[in-house]
Amino acid sequence: MSVRGTHIPEHLRLPIAGVTPPPTEKEGQRLFPTGNFRFFRPVYRDKTPPCNHACPTGEQIQKYLDFVKHDRYLDGYLTILEDNPMPSVTGRVCYHPCETACNRAAHDEPIGIRSVERFLGDFGLNLEENPIKKDLPPLNGKTVAIVGSGPGGLACAYHLRRKGYASVIFEALDSAGGMLRAGIPAWHLPEEVLDKEIAKLTGLGGIEIRCGVRVGSDPGGITLDHLRTGYDAVFLALGQDVGRRLDVEGGRSRGVLGALEFLRETGLGRPVKVGRNVLVIGGGNTASDAARSAVRLGGGEATIVSLESEDELLIVPEDLEQAREEGVRFRPQHSLVRVIADGEGNVTGAVLCQARLAKDENGNVRPQISEGTEFEVPCDTILIAIGQVQVLDWLPESFTERGLVKADEYGRVPDDSEAVFAGGDVMRGPSMVVDALGDGKRAARDIDRVLSAQPLEPDGPVEVMPYERLNTAYFRHAPRTPVPLTPAGTRSKSQKVEVTLAYSREEAVAEADRCMSCGVCNGCDNCYIVCPDISVMRDARENGRYSIRTHYCKGCLVCVQECPTGCLEKVPELDFDEPDAVVRMETAFAPYDGAHAEQAPFTRQLIEDAIAEYDRSKTVQPNGRGVTP
Amino acid sequence: MAFEVHRQHLPLFEDDGRAAATDDEHGRDRHYLPELPAEDPYAAGHRTCAGCGPAIQYRWVLKAAGGDTVVAGPTGCMYVANSTYLCTPYTVPWAHTPIASGGSFTSGMAAGYEAMIRKGRYPGPFPNIVVMAGDGSASDIGLGSISGALYRNHDALFVCYDNECYANTGIQVSPTTPYAGMTTFTPFGKAIPEGKKLPPKNLAKMMAEGHPHCYVATTTVGYPVDLMNKTRKGLNHVGAAFLHCYTPCQKGWVYQTSMTVELGRRVVESGLWAVWEYDPEERKYHYFHPPVQRPVTDYLAMQGRFGHMLPEHVANMQVAANQNWQDIGMDVPQNLRDLEDPERHRRLKEEEYSMPLNRGVGA
Amino acid sequence: MTSVHVDHGLTSGAPPRLAPAVRTPDGEKFLNGMAGTRIRQNGCAAAAYAALYANVDVITAYPIRPYTAIMMNLAQFIADGILDAEYIHADGEHSQFSAAFGAGSCGARAYTGSSGVGVTYGYEMYSIISGARIPIQMAIADRTLDPPGDFGSEHTDALCTRDMGWLLGWAATPQEVFDKSLIAYAIGEDPRVLLPQMVVQDGYFVSHIAGEVEMPAIGQVESFLPPYQLPFPLDPRRPVSHGPQIHPEQGPPLQLERARAMEDALGVIREKTDEFAQVFGRKYPHFVESYKLDDAEIAIVISGGHSVTCRAAVDRLRAAGVRIGMARLLWIRPFPTSDLQEALRGVKAVGVVETNLGLGGASYGGILSLDVTTALYQMDGERPLATSFMAGLGGETVPMSEFEWMAGKLGQAVARGRVEKAAHWVGFED
Repeated sequence: MSVRGTHIPEHLRLPIAGVTPPPTEKEGQRLFPTGNFRFFRPVYRDKTPPCNHACPTGEQIQKYLDFVKHDRYLDGYLTILEDNPMPSVTGRVCYHPCETACNRAAHDEPIGIRSVERFLGDFGLNLEENPIKKDLPPLNGKTVAIVGSGPGGLACAYHLRRKGYASVIFEALDSAGGMLRAGIPAWHLPEEVLDKEIAKLTGLGGIEIRCGVRVGSDPGGITLDHLRTGYDAVFLALGQDVGRRLDVEGGRSRGVLGALEFLRETGLGRPVKVGRNVLVIGGGNTASDAARSAVRLGGGEATIVSLESEDELLIVPEDLEQAREEGVRFRPQHSLVRVIADGEGNVTGAVLCQARLAKDENGNVRPQISEGTEFEVPCDTILIAIGQVQVLDWLPESFTERGLVKADEYGRVPDDSEAVFAGGDVMRGPSMVVDALGDGKRAARDIDRVLSAQPLEPDGPVEVMPYERLNTAYFRHAPRTPVPLTPAGTRSKSQKVEVTLAYSREEAVAEADRCMSCGVCNGCDNCYIVCPDISVMRDARENGRYSIRTHYCKGCLVCVQECPTGCLEKVPELDFDEPDAVVRMETAFAPYDGAHAEQAPFTRQLIEDAIAEYDRSKTVQPNGRGVTP
Repeated sequence: MAFEVHRQHLPLFEDDGRAAATDDEHGRDRHYLPELPAEDPYAAGHRTCAGCGPAIQYRWVLKAAGGDTVVAGPTGCMYVANSTYLCTPYTVPWAHTPIASGGSFTSGMAAGYEAMIRKGRYPGPFPNIVVMAGDGSASDIGLGSISGALYRNHDALFVCYDNECYANTGIQVSPTTPYAGMTTFTPFGKAIPEGKKLPPKNLAKMMAEGHPHCYVATTTVGYPVDLMNKTRKGLNHVGAAFLHCYTPCQKGWVYQTSMTVELGRRVVESGLWAVWEYDPEERKYHYFHPPVQRPVTDYLAMQGRFGHMLPEHVANMQVAANQNWQDIGMDVPQNLRDLEDPERHRRLKEEEYSMPLNRGVGA
Repeated sequence: MTSVHVDHGLTSGAPPRLAPAVRTPDGEKFLNGMAGTRIRQNGCAAAAYAALYANVDVITAYPIRPYTAIMMNLAQFIADGILDAEYIHADGEHSQFSAAFGAGSCGARAYTGSSGVGVTYGYEMYSIISGARIPIQMAIADRTLDPPGDFGSEHTDALCTRDMGWLLGWAATPQEVFDKSLIAYAIGEDPRVLLPQMVVQDGYFVSHIAGEVEMPAIGQVESFLPPYQLPFPLDPRRPVSHGPQIHPEQGPPLQLERARAMEDALGVIREKTDEFAQVFGRKYPHFVESYKLDDAEIAIVISGGHSVTCRAAVDRLRAAGVRIGMARLLWIRPFPTSDLQEALRGVKAVGVVETNLGLGGASYGGILSLDVTTALYQMDGERPLATSFMAGLGGETVPMSEFEWMAGKLGQAVARGRVEKAAHWVGFED
């Protein structure tokens, strides 16, 4: 008998016929830690979406769009409030650099971010209680003086309040809002909305707005010295509210007005007279606003006369289209030569000529007049919208340069106190509301740093996610949800009827749904499902939705390739120049419930612990001598 | 007294043909797939190559099938690389079968459970019975065995994971190797510049035409929801079902490991693999019409196995793809028609790699 | 809707037990009517009846003469509602055996069979099934391998599989076919063995010639043959993997285990044969039928149906004063080395009847003598001389005269003290 006396050593005792018990899903087949196949490791690293990057306030747009997508409007609103105090305002009037930067434009059409922002802003405005109020820190006893209650000043006050600072805002006009009230027509931004937004800010406590107080050189009034001595810091955000004059013959006739002044008087509700045949000189947004307001007030016609060709007009496209719908006419590539007035000095017409914008030898843009093309047109009002300035003579000369307040990269004005900052139009020249909001936010951050004796540091470099690095196979083409408008016939008859209307909830959700979440994990599960090695774990930890099981991950990088948002990327597993150095990256990731995008503190700690553990192990060599590589 | 055989019914996932993405109940774009089963009966710790296409397909099929499943695996990569040295990655019952026995062994399993449940031996419900056979097993040596099983209509799902070669034995030609695909049995050389001269066998059509009572479908690893749904439809179908799945082989095809799923989409978008479903009730084919139609070079240039192709070979491939487009009821755009002309091509190795950015490598 | 989740409470510990199989009401009625009767039937029918009594779950069939009559009978039982079993019309023997293997792996009792080239067509499966330790049963009615195209019986087909780990039993009458089928299941399914079984009968000589077969009561069969319980079925309630790859180091112990099972089967065969006798009242020798060997000087070693003629030839030669006996092998795997040694102790010359072809082997004759001579070589004390006789090839009968010729050759060997050669072609030599 051949098997008599045979014995099988313990280590070779096998189950009958090699019948093998199963592994557990959780542990995997531990005899094969296939992680040692790996040369590269997938890591989650959020990049900055272009919308977020383009927004001067740094609004986390993709994040709040994701909240909206999941019907979490309050979370979305609070997300905006981290960066921007007045989404109901910007949701109406912002020139949306975010939409211009949106990667979706390369795919089909950019996301209607402004309209979703407005939806969230109005959602927040209608809340009974300001949801951030209960979480504000107590006031720390320091107070900042702010000149100007426009968007820059208000934003600065708001962000300071969030950090515990009180502020006093000095406003030259009788009511707060700066250009929001005095420059933007009510059909763009209804007064009630602005009032509510401002009331929301002052309701936080610690923000005082003193209207009718013009800071200046008047010895009886408030001066810069008052501010410097009476307050811990100063923020100059006085804007540019003086229209640039056009020096032409007849320019002083009755009926020739600055467009800015015209808009201000209208915005403040004062009686303004405008004719039925209005010429607006200028090619920018102020010209458009003035022309459209003139149509509403006078009930007549308005023609925009611009040096710019139709393609060169500096009017945001939707405003241009709306202006046309409302009957505003355009006379591009023309220039005003002189104003014709009657004997009483009233405007009766203007002489125009053909002109165009050309570049001089230095590359600067200069008008070029075509001599001999003059002709006369009748009109009864001429609105000048060729730029704006501010009166800065009350400031020390060292503060100003070429009509603007001079500031360094942090917005800091050269002053011994090192606590005078500036922002908005007065610093950068005519610019967007959202620029001023961003300046206010940055000033608040830097004032806080100065007052708490921290160094000022520039923002770190950011990696903006380009369209090419998205995996667009996962994004179906879908058209942008159109923004509802009041019909041109109705809106052009009233100064009070809002032109642009709000998205419904369904529309806002549908539009938010188009967001491609560029560079930011959107919890899509792709990495989880495409992994051949069951190494991307979903709900892996209490706080984390995804983690890479490096014990098994073979480094094939299918997850990286298939990540729609590009938040996954590869890093080499080993630094081959220094073979002992293992690249340690975050392999756990914790998009929070319903949204995305942050390494949860809990998982971050786990990684740090692991790195510390690794470092400890590397400091002792096998020979027992401690070394530091 | 016979006992009744209760059968499982697996719910389908929402799918609009865009890979993992789908809509929620309100029609919103939703990528997250909360209803994906948490369980993975195919567990980590298997030794397939990095980026293995069949491993992805195995995982999806078993995820869709769930825990009440019995699996057979004929000889092939997915035998050798998975259940190695008395280890197993399967948390469900699994058995190796000889390479020619995929269909027949599975018939036996299905028949065994039918009889045991009917005769009161096993309490039921009838388990999901799945066999996953490679293309060599399913289209070559075990073709008759699978055909026999389909003909007999056993209540089981017969999956062919098609990596277009005998990969386990070192990349030899199989009936599904594409024209001009280089393998170690079809090398290219001066006398045979194209490598493989024959077009591939249309296995799934053969199965559908020959066994019209069966649910037959094709899919690729580019479309996870589609693959999982077809798995579930096949299992829900009372009777035999055949699923032919395109599963890239990184080792055999020579491509970047990260491109496995991308290839699964590109092969469809270049007209070289039709995704369809045959409904035995209606006796009709339902073809998936991909949203993008690409030149075949977009697909070929990604893979080393085609690198030797000369302009006339590429043109031949485009002719075949254009024929495929017509077969599935799609128009051939003029730009693809033009590419039937060899003059329009270069040698394939001079072609640009068509990915805008290979994110696995470039990122 | 059924949940896709399985209660994995059973993943450890003992496997879930499978309940006994029910029979159809018509089947019970039919078999109750049969109990205690004796019916004349051929070997194929006897095998089919045995499978019916064993209440097999899955039958896999592919036609080839002569075994195919077994499957025809079973198909009719199912058609008549007497047997509830899945009947798979396979696409070839390879598939046929694979399907039975699949069914057996799930815990179903599976039954298959073949003849001649059908046996060799499915050859890949033999080692795989025995290595997986799945105790399915296969009925073989012997047939000559091609070429030439020949329906006749020859043992080569079954003997080709002899080293593949299957229990290989030879039956000489329809009654023995019936009994051996039940015994073989009982042995193969015994957890000490767990090996597949071949129950072989000579084509035509046994498969197609009727003999009386006693039909038992269901209760007798069920008390002898309990429900099949594979210890490690492919059962979702307790998942296991069958047949994974092994490391070379793991090969020897697994093969040793299979070898042990084959040797352990020797004891189980004795046990089950005795148990069968108690339940059914028919007592078979464990391995070797010794016919008139007690004082024999020469002996014929034989298996299968030709033993009937051989027995008559022994009687006639004995009447003529020749001290001859016969040793009939009931099992060829596991080979009954010690039982054969005991049966042939004291015999001076042994001749093995080779109804098979072993071209170019050590004897340049057949297959069976290789095992027999090895067994004899290991004998203690004086060893008999041994030769073999190529007879009955291609389905030819082995008439009395040929056995007498063989006896003559054996007598010469005894007289000369050596055999003329290791294999004789009977009918072609003087």
